[in-house]
Amino acid sequence: MWFTVLLLAGLQINSLPDPGTKPLVLFFIRADCPVSNRYAPVMEHLYEAFHEKGIDFRLIYVERDLTQARMEAHRHEYGYSIPALNDPERRYVQLAHAQMTPEAAVFVQGKLVYRGRIDDRYLDYGKTRPEASRHDLEDVLSEIVARKTLHPRETKAFGCAIADLP
Amino acid sequence: MKWWLAICLGLPLAAGNVTFDKDIAPILYQSCAPCHRPGEAGPFSLLSYADARKHASQLVAATARRFMPPWPPEPGYGDFADPRRLSDRQIRTIADWVRQGEPEGNAADLPPAPHFAEGWQLGPPDLVVRMPMPFTLPASGVDVFRNFVIPLNLRETRYIRAIELRPGNKRIVHHANIVIDHGRTLRSQDGADGQPGFPGMDVITQSVGEFDPDSHFLFWKPGTVPYEEPPDMSLRLDPDTDLIFNLHLQPSGKPEQVQPSVGIYFTSQPPTRFPMLVQLEHDGDLDIPPGATQFTVTDHLVLPVDAQVLGIYPHAHYLGKRIEAWATLPDGSRRWLIRILDWNINWQAVYMYREPIALPKGTRLEMRITYDNSASNPRNPNHPPKRVRGGNRSEDEMGHVWLQLLPTQPDGDGRMALQEALMRRRLEKYPADFVGHYNLGALMLTRDKPAEAIPFFEAALKVKPGDVTARNSLSAALIADNRPDAAVRELRRVLQTDPRSPMPHYNLARALTLQGELAGAAAEYKIYLESQPDDADAYLNLARIYIEQKQYDSAVRNLREAARLRPTDSGVQINLGAALAMLGQMTSAVEAFERALVLDPGNQTAQANLDAAKAELAKRKN
Repeated sequence: MWFTVLLLAGLQINSLPDPGTKPLVLFFIRADCPVSNRYAPVMEHLYEAFHEKGIDFRLIYVERDLTQARMEAHRHEYGYSIPALNDPERRYVQLAHAQMTPEAAVFVQGKLVYRGRIDDRYLDYGKTRPEASRHDLEDVLSEIVARKTLHPRETKAFGCAIADLP
Repeated sequence: MKWWLAICLGLPLAAGNVTFDKDIAPILYQSCAPCHRPGEAGPFSLLSYADARKHASQLVAATARRFMPPWPPEPGYGDFADPRRLSDRQIRTIADWVRQGEPEGNAADLPPAPHFAEGWQLGPPDLVVRMPMPFTLPASGVDVFRNFVIPLNLRETRYIRAIELRPGNKRIVHHANIVIDHGRTLRSQDGADGQPGFPGMDVITQSVGEFDPDSHFLFWKPGTVPYEEPPDMSLRLDPDTDLIFNLHLQPSGKPEQVQPSVGIYFTSQPPTRFPMLVQLEHDGDLDIPPGATQFTVTDHLVLPVDAQVLGIYPHAHYLGKRIEAWATLPDGSRRWLIRILDWNINWQAVYMYREPIALPKGTRLEMRITYDNSASNPRNPNHPPKRVRGGNRSEDEMGHVWLQLLPTQPDGDGRMALQEALMRRRLEKYPADFVGHYNLGALMLTRDKPAEAIPFFEAALKVKPGDVTARNSLSAALIADNRPDAAVRELRRVLQTDPRSPMPHYNLARALTLQGELAGAAAEYKIYLESQPDDADAYLNLARIYIEQKQYDSAVRNLREAARLRPTDSGVQINLGAALAMLGQMTSAVEAFERALVLDPGNQTAQANLDAAKAELAKRKN
């Protein structure tokens, strides 16, 4: 149900790339979420590895009360070079049906092909691996780059619930 | 009527109107805010209604799973001080509040905000020592377990009533142990990889010298207020001591610097009660096959003396699952010391008992630790699982239960008896263990039982034939057992491989003295004193040889050195006076005997010698 065609074109967001051309990864994040922050280097690493292979990335800050200055400060603090957007209207959140931070959503030709965790390091409260053993998002991106047939999939993300935010 | 009653009883059980101001704020202030406030370890604050709403579903899930506040011990298995565990009712209240739409309530119900002391929690410390260089933790990757050497540079022995650790960067320091490194044995490892400190999940120190076992847990975890020792249980720190900070560092997502400091609070009061840290372990049994879900290690120790258990520190690495410790009393009854059903290294901690647990002699202390080395253990660092053995790297395993025991029998130092029981148990577990044999030998020697010490040192040397300390100790035992010939043989062997160590020269001098080889003995004492010029005993022994050889001027020279080092020792003055008298220097002899009498007014030898010397002086005048 969740992977029905979702056309980004309906949204008037100039800074989003044209969904019809390039695959797009959205990272839903929150400046005060520890799990989200801990993933910053992993997200950045994936950006470094894939953005020159034709995949676009955007960080989506989900806090309504986040000022532009605070957002830029946070990006700088955690060393993000991924372009970022604030999503006070929760349009991207709704588009991807994102529930958590951090959570990834991958669109190919306007279709949501993946939504969920970045990897399996943080599973639940107290259930944390010393290192990730499955790299879910990286696998999806590798398949996109290799032009393999994609089977839309979903995993459960762990972190801070977006619904808690005012 | 019955159903009417049921409704009455039922009403309070229904959720009722839960509000932030009335019900949630007291829980947050008491149990969350110590860490969840600005500048503390919690990654976000939980001080206000807005804070709580922003993390409402996290609050429900984290408390329902008892992930927060972190308190792994099961209730009913040890009564600990300052428990952080929430009651079932509190957890239900939080869930009800969120289910009811997170109402704020009436500001009049809001309790006063908690007050937290800023800075050093026990006031300004007497000594603050900061790690000399910061350590940089990378933004991501596995958790880092690292040890930092903190030189104390004390000029004299000091007594400590409290130590407060300030991690410097609370966001990434998950917990910290402070280890006392007697004799500064770990300095050489510091910085070997180009960054401050050295890696390792656990620190192993070795100390040679006086029996001074570790006595206090020095542990920090977020939100803890430093523990102040009772005045009669202060901690001794000697001048040649370093502190080792053993830190668990958790990457935060950006590069972080950590530079902890420690505040030390002195007391002038030396301890009169001596606790000892006692370890139950059987790491030698740790050989966990891949896939094993219930691998178990046990250990026990029978108390040789009455003792109180003051605190407990369980420890395992990532595969540890269940940790239990209990005491079986001589009457067969059992007292639980701790039970942790879902061990998580991230929440390891020292737990102090609300009241000391008194255990009689003959009590059997027991531990049982279970490991899960299967793929279904998310904390398993190996994919696929592989064979894991004991060791102090994070990929190795450990299984320890440390207990702070306070021997309570009134006579003598119960720690020696504990040490003996521990070492004998160690030899049961590891029959070819060097440390167990060596320590038992040292213990027997301290107790003046050289004949019992000798076989232990011999067994230790079978394990490590080249160990200079053990061979030197064996020779000391042989000397004490009046077997100088055997001692001389051992010492010559030591000095062949290690001619620079001072102690073998000292012992060789003693052995040669026993053999009557006084000239050789004097030569050895002189070699020893070249590197140890402040050893009064060596000067005295050498002086005794010179007196025997009637070389009184040499005797006087050495006695003066001894007197310099022991200015309040009347015996030294008496001997000095006697040697001076033999040289005919009666005026100086009289002065020495008079000094002896000032130090020890009733001393009859000093008085008799003084009278004789004065008589001799009078005779000369005539």
